[in-house]
Amino acid sequence: MSKPAKTHKIKMMEEQLAKKLNRQVVGSLVGCVHCGMCNDCCHYVLTHPDDPKMTPSYKADQVRKLFKANHDWTGSVFPWWVGADKVPLTDDDLDTLKDIAFGTCTNCRRCTINCPMGVDTATLNRIMRGLLTNVGVMPEGVRVVSKDQWELGNQMGVLKEDYIDTLEWMSEELEEELGHGGAAIPLDKTGAKVMYAINPREVKYDPRTIKEAALIFWAAGENWTMPSEGWDNTNFGLFSGDDGLGGACAKREYDKARELGVDKIVISECGHGYRSTRHEGVNWSGEAEPFPMESSVMTMLRYIKEGKLVVDPTKNNQRVTFHDSCNNARSCGFYEEPRELLRLVTTDFQEMVPNRAEGFCCTGGGGAMSMSEYTPRRLKSGEIKANQIRATGAEVVVTSCHNCVDGLGDVIKHYGLGCEVKQLVDLVANALVIDECAVMKNRPAGAPRPEPPVVPAAESDVAAARVAAVAQPLAGRRILVVDDEEDIRTFLVTVFEDAGAEVMEAADGDECIERAATFKPDLISLDLSMPGKSGVDAFVELRKTPGIQEIPVCVVTGHPEFRQVIYDRPVPAPEGYLNKPVDEGKLVSYVAHIIEIRDERAN
Amino acid sequence: MHESSSLLHTAEVVHWAALITMAAVYSLRLRWLFNFKPGADKSAPGAPHRTDKKRGANYSLFNVAMPWSMESTRKGFAFYLTFVIFHLGVVAGISLAFLSTITPSLVGKPAFALICGSTLFLAFLVAIYRVFRRLFTPVMRLISTPDDYFSLFMLTVWFGLGVVTEAHLAGVRGFESVNILVAYLFLTSFFLIYVPFSKISHYLYYPFTRIWIGRALGHRGSYPIVRG
Repeated sequence: MSKPAKTHKIKMMEEQLAKKLNRQVVGSLVGCVHCGMCNDCCHYVLTHPDDPKMTPSYKADQVRKLFKANHDWTGSVFPWWVGADKVPLTDDDLDTLKDIAFGTCTNCRRCTINCPMGVDTATLNRIMRGLLTNVGVMPEGVRVVSKDQWELGNQMGVLKEDYIDTLEWMSEELEEELGHGGAAIPLDKTGAKVMYAINPREVKYDPRTIKEAALIFWAAGENWTMPSEGWDNTNFGLFSGDDGLGGACAKREYDKARELGVDKIVISECGHGYRSTRHEGVNWSGEAEPFPMESSVMTMLRYIKEGKLVVDPTKNNQRVTFHDSCNNARSCGFYEEPRELLRLVTTDFQEMVPNRAEGFCCTGGGGAMSMSEYTPRRLKSGEIKANQIRATGAEVVVTSCHNCVDGLGDVIKHYGLGCEVKQLVDLVANALVIDECAVMKNRPAGAPRPEPPVVPAAESDVAAARVAAVAQPLAGRRILVVDDEEDIRTFLVTVFEDAGAEVMEAADGDECIERAATFKPDLISLDLSMPGKSGVDAFVELRKTPGIQEIPVCVVTGHPEFRQVIYDRPVPAPEGYLNKPVDEGKLVSYVAHIIEIRDERAN
Repeated sequence: MHESSSLLHTAEVVHWAALITMAAVYSLRLRWLFNFKPGADKSAPGAPHRTDKKRGANYSLFNVAMPWSMESTRKGFAFYLTFVIFHLGVVAGISLAFLSTITPSLVGKPAFALICGSTLFLAFLVAIYRVFRRLFTPVMRLISTPDDYFSLFMLTVWFGLGVVTEAHLAGVRGFESVNILVAYLFLTSFFLIYVPFSKISHYLYYPFTRIWIGRALGHRGSYPIVRG
């Protein structure tokens, strides 16, 4: 039977491949001897011993076949002899390739450093991703995130007003906590020394880390700013293989830094963000090292070494271990600084083995967190990391990467490890001895400790109301708590009632719809996994039902792996998303913030 | 001239012609490789206080002699040993072929015969193990092409014939026929011509791929690998 003719997409992929070839890539394409040495280095192989297709060289062979068929002598003349006859021909073949390139590899590069020939298998897999992305073949999550990053400038679709609003919110909280009016987060300050770029996850799910970073910059007396544009240090181009997107994202940051006239870009704790901004972005955008750039871990370490920050490690006295982000450790050689910093701010640090450039992936790398269709396989591959963590006896796993926070969170929950994940910014902020930091020491001789701003008499009522609002931030609000587990419902109801809210409960999706229509809450706290009508189905119905479709929804779930499932629905995304177990303070402030934004929009 | 001597002479001529062919094809191969544009990393060095491109390249190039440097060779030390024996066998086999035409007296000396013969014999055993591994391990079967199989089969036969040839050259009783050497030289000639078109040419690329990945990771700061 004759072979089908190549489809247009295949031809486009072949054209694109030619553009991606350079000497180093070709070296990796011709250098593999199929020795199988990479096999035992891959977390997918080790956790799927009965599936030979997990082996890294098989994944790299997918692009190698295309190369040999089109660019190599032997492959052109005797394709069957070198496996070049098995190239993709139909669009169905591309779906198979998609599953291999996106679903069986996190591009962690562990196989690369274990290849005797020096073949960069992870780079070859990224090339295959790029070829597929170029013809529109990619997981839905990757498509959505890439679209957001192209169109909105950040990968989580955060609107500019939401971003600025979050910074203001964090500024207010920080100033309240410090009792000092000068700690607000500077926005678009020209001539600052440092521009701080963050991960949009911080805005969307964990703004606390922005506040902690602001505290640290303030305490160190840094002249810093956050930008209103080009603030996303992450870069989905790294994951999708789309160098065009990669270059565009990096350029946004560089251009903004240039516009503000800053001396340096400091990148918040994000593995792929650091790699993309600090290294790959320079190459993708074609700019030769536009600015000095460093991770916030390096910045914090330097502040402590220079005496600008004073820390008390006994404030972090739990046993901690450190997980190296693959992008940081293997692709950027960035692994000693976090350890040095950890030893300064904690009392009981236990090293995970293997570590540094030999560490295993958290399972969340390579954009895996956005591809929910591969979640079961990803979680299975997490067994290696789970065993590593378990062996340390750590209560806290520290990492310098937001993807790793989510990936590790899933692994910890799935394998019942009972520990929590933190970032260094959390530990440093917690260990600060504010009175001895630069901001206090450098004030003019005899000057008093900065005090809260004096509230004019005319504003005293406002101030009193503000105090009351802080005490009961949900006073006058109506919240519908939807969760099938009674103890969780009781907990959530208690927390919301203590914060001043009027609360109604629902135990499943049907009750949720019914009570949303009658109770007309200001916000719905929604569990996803429930018997009967699930939270996902209830959410979609809520969004499609006139009269209740505008009610803000905050997902509170014990299944973080469902995150993408809900974001993939063809309805507006939920306003908030929290993982269980949830911290009371974080829950209340987060929910209050969502309602506040809703009110502002309504007005 | 004795018939077999004439055949031996032809084998020697073909053998050297094959070597020249291989060199010519290799030159073209390298020209082809270097016609691709070089990849450049414009970013600032990742950990200049600790390492750089040069250190990374040196570490990477010589890690073949440092089995502790990679987890794959550290944990799979037995496999690493088979790799060493296999490649020493290739060196011994090539040496045997060329020295037998240049200084036949040397290859017949007992010391040479013992070292070369035993190396080839061990390499032959390793090659047989590799054949089985490639044929019967699902992962290896999945990733293997006809070229992978043929190259390995050919080398296995070549090692075996090398052992017999060394026995012939050392004057071991029962291995007197000069046809043994003739066959070995013809097989080596075929080997030399086939190699540049096959996976066996990996050794041509080896220094480049190792140096390139070493420079890349040295620049970023992750080579040499640090453990703790």
